[in-house]
Amino acid sequence: MGLIANYNLRSMIVRKGTAAMTAMGIAMVVAVFVMTMAIAQGFRGALVASGSNENAILLRKGATSETVSAVLKPQLPLIESMPQVARTADGHALASPELVVIISLPRASDGHPANVPLRGVGPRAFEVRNTLQFVEGRRFTPGTREINVGKQAVARFTGLTLGSDVKFGGVAWKVVGIFTADDASFESEVWGDVDLMMPAFQRNGYQSVTVKLVDPSAFDSFQAAVGNDPRLDLKPNRERDYYEGQSETTGTLIRVFAIFVTAILSIGAVFGAVNTMYAAVAYRTREIGTLRALGFSRLRIVTAFLAESVALALVGGVVGCIIALPVHGLSTGAMNMTSFSELAFKFRITPALLAGGLLFSAVMGAVGGLLPALRAARIPVARALREI
Amino acid sequence: MKFVGLVLKSARRSKRRTALTILSVALAVFLFSALRAVLQGFDAVSAASSAQRLVTIRSTSMIFSMPTSHGEAIRSTAGVQDVTWANWFGGIYKDPKNFFGQFAVEPESYLRMYPEILLSDEEKQAFLADRTGCIVGDGLAKKYGFKIGDRIVLQPGIPTYGTQDYPFTIRGIYRAGSSAVDNQSMMFHWKYADERSIVKGEVGWYVTRVADPDRAVQVANAIDQKFANSPYETKTDTEQAFSAQFASMLGNLNVLLGSVALAVVLTTLFVAGNTMAMSVRERTTEIAVMRTLGFPAATIFMLVVGEGVLVAVVGGAIGGVLARLVINAEALGLAGGFIPAFGVSNSNVGVGLGLSLIIGLLAAVIPATMASRLKIVDALRRVA
Repeated sequence: MGLIANYNLRSMIVRKGTAAMTAMGIAMVVAVFVMTMAIAQGFRGALVASGSNENAILLRKGATSETVSAVLKPQLPLIESMPQVARTADGHALASPELVVIISLPRASDGHPANVPLRGVGPRAFEVRNTLQFVEGRRFTPGTREINVGKQAVARFTGLTLGSDVKFGGVAWKVVGIFTADDASFESEVWGDVDLMMPAFQRNGYQSVTVKLVDPSAFDSFQAAVGNDPRLDLKPNRERDYYEGQSETTGTLIRVFAIFVTAILSIGAVFGAVNTMYAAVAYRTREIGTLRALGFSRLRIVTAFLAESVALALVGGVVGCIIALPVHGLSTGAMNMTSFSELAFKFRITPALLAGGLLFSAVMGAVGGLLPALRAARIPVARALREI
Repeated sequence: MKFVGLVLKSARRSKRRTALTILSVALAVFLFSALRAVLQGFDAVSAASSAQRLVTIRSTSMIFSMPTSHGEAIRSTAGVQDVTWANWFGGIYKDPKNFFGQFAVEPESYLRMYPEILLSDEEKQAFLADRTGCIVGDGLAKKYGFKIGDRIVLQPGIPTYGTQDYPFTIRGIYRAGSSAVDNQSMMFHWKYADERSIVKGEVGWYVTRVADPDRAVQVANAIDQKFANSPYETKTDTEQAFSAQFASMLGNLNVLLGSVALAVVLTTLFVAGNTMAMSVRERTTEIAVMRTLGFPAATIFMLVVGEGVLVAVVGGAIGGVLARLVINAEALGLAGGFIPAFGVSNSNVGVGLGLSLIIGLLAAVIPATMASRLKIVDALRRVA
């Protein structure tokens, strides 16, 4: 194997121009694949990171998202009194009644107004969502017109920096703190006191209640307890499942687009590889004949040429991944179809995605090299040796 | 022209290779035309939007409503010709996955405001006369097999509209006269939804026609001025500005689709350039013989470029025609909701052909230069 591998490698170097062009064709396909999938992953990641396994979100039965749900004020104490809900040391239930409305703020990049989610939360929301961390300022004081803003929202929209006044719902609100949330969708939001948001937006109820459970395994009994209470027409969802569901519409759209584009593009690149490998076989007819005459089996010839093609494609795959890497962590925005607002997220290139890109390039190499490799193996020895 | 035969001959030298190259160019042009068509679909909506129509929403956002009294106040603003209003219904037809636009509209003035909604007179009268009647776009009708007279039931998706199901009778199927109107929507009587709403007299947005489009911005400001400092402040924009904002919320499509298109072109360039280089290398001896016979270097250059262009343009034509046939709104049925109808037009095909011409030229330039600069003696001595 050593001899033949060496031979293939060296013949690749001899024809470096052609080999490089083929590899670059494959590199472009892999780069497009990795970048578009990074968008899909980033979008999904931002929403999935919002959900915790320890939390449950209660929505009106049949509601598919917060915007179309309703929870009545008297229902909150009923939920808070349930034994499955975790408590603070001084006995307060870890539950946050919430209301999401959408406000319009000018985007920093082009000044056009964009929809920004404004989340009214209960006083213990920061204990329920314990991934939130303040990078500047402090929490808002319940009962005052103070707000906290996610880090992504500060960057994407104008007028949300610490200390500035933001006008919505007819009054001005002061930004007193800026938070991060492990890249979760909360970073694109503005948070304030739910009891002040309701009158400001003429609402008379909450949309959802998020609770921290005493233990993730308590979910089933919590679900049963809510179901058995006739005063609660609500359905609890595991928070993680809920947010995963929210990412589905837009996430699937991006993924379908990515697959459609890369599939078509990869066919073109495979054609390029087929051309190159056929030429490689044709140039080396005599050499192949010699190898066969020396006793190398047909199978060895097939595997050798397949390996050459796959190696060539893998080089392309590596280059493609390197081309795509710089977009990792770039932040961008897309509309979240279910909440009708803009969600900021980062391109996310994971090791698994890179491995997927490399695998994809190897598959392209194998498909492109198969027919030429078979042709190489079928060359009759006598005729091959006679060829000039 | 006398060299056409020679170009054809050399293109046929390796049929398989030429065919594969043609197909890669065809795929690239196919993809390129499709991407362009999607972008143009979005642009067409903005372009077809009227500069004469204004849209008034609550300044906080579209999903908050305003009282009906705003309608009268807007009508009395100087420069306003006509006013109508609508609500987003957001109901569920059988399954939440069946998403399409449902608008509760004030029927008479709405149809007057949007002459692009093409409806026969009988259908229009039947719709106006039936309180629970609705009209649907022909695209939507095709998707779900709706016929005039069908009864459909929507489950309210937004709590304000109560919990009871809403039955409707289809009284008309409209066609869209321009891209400003979506043919995948449903419209019904605003009164019907209002009767059952928990809060009465709520309007999602007002649409106003101004007498003079040049004064649209002033009229828009005058309308907003009227409601400044009221609990229901408004934001008025021309329909054009409004749809541009909506498209920009979908993310930066131009950059995303543009960079994908660039990658498509580059990939094809690598593939085609490689093939041309291979073909020239194989013919080194042949070219040297031609040079010896007295073919000038310029002619050799043109022969190679001609072959590259021929192969690329044939591929481009195949890809363009294929895209024209496959990518159109009816065949795909992808449009609807937030995605505007799109299709590959003849001009898209033209641009695709132009692109393939450029690919052919660029791919052939280096190999052609190599071929024309061959040293005859070296080339003849070389054993391929």
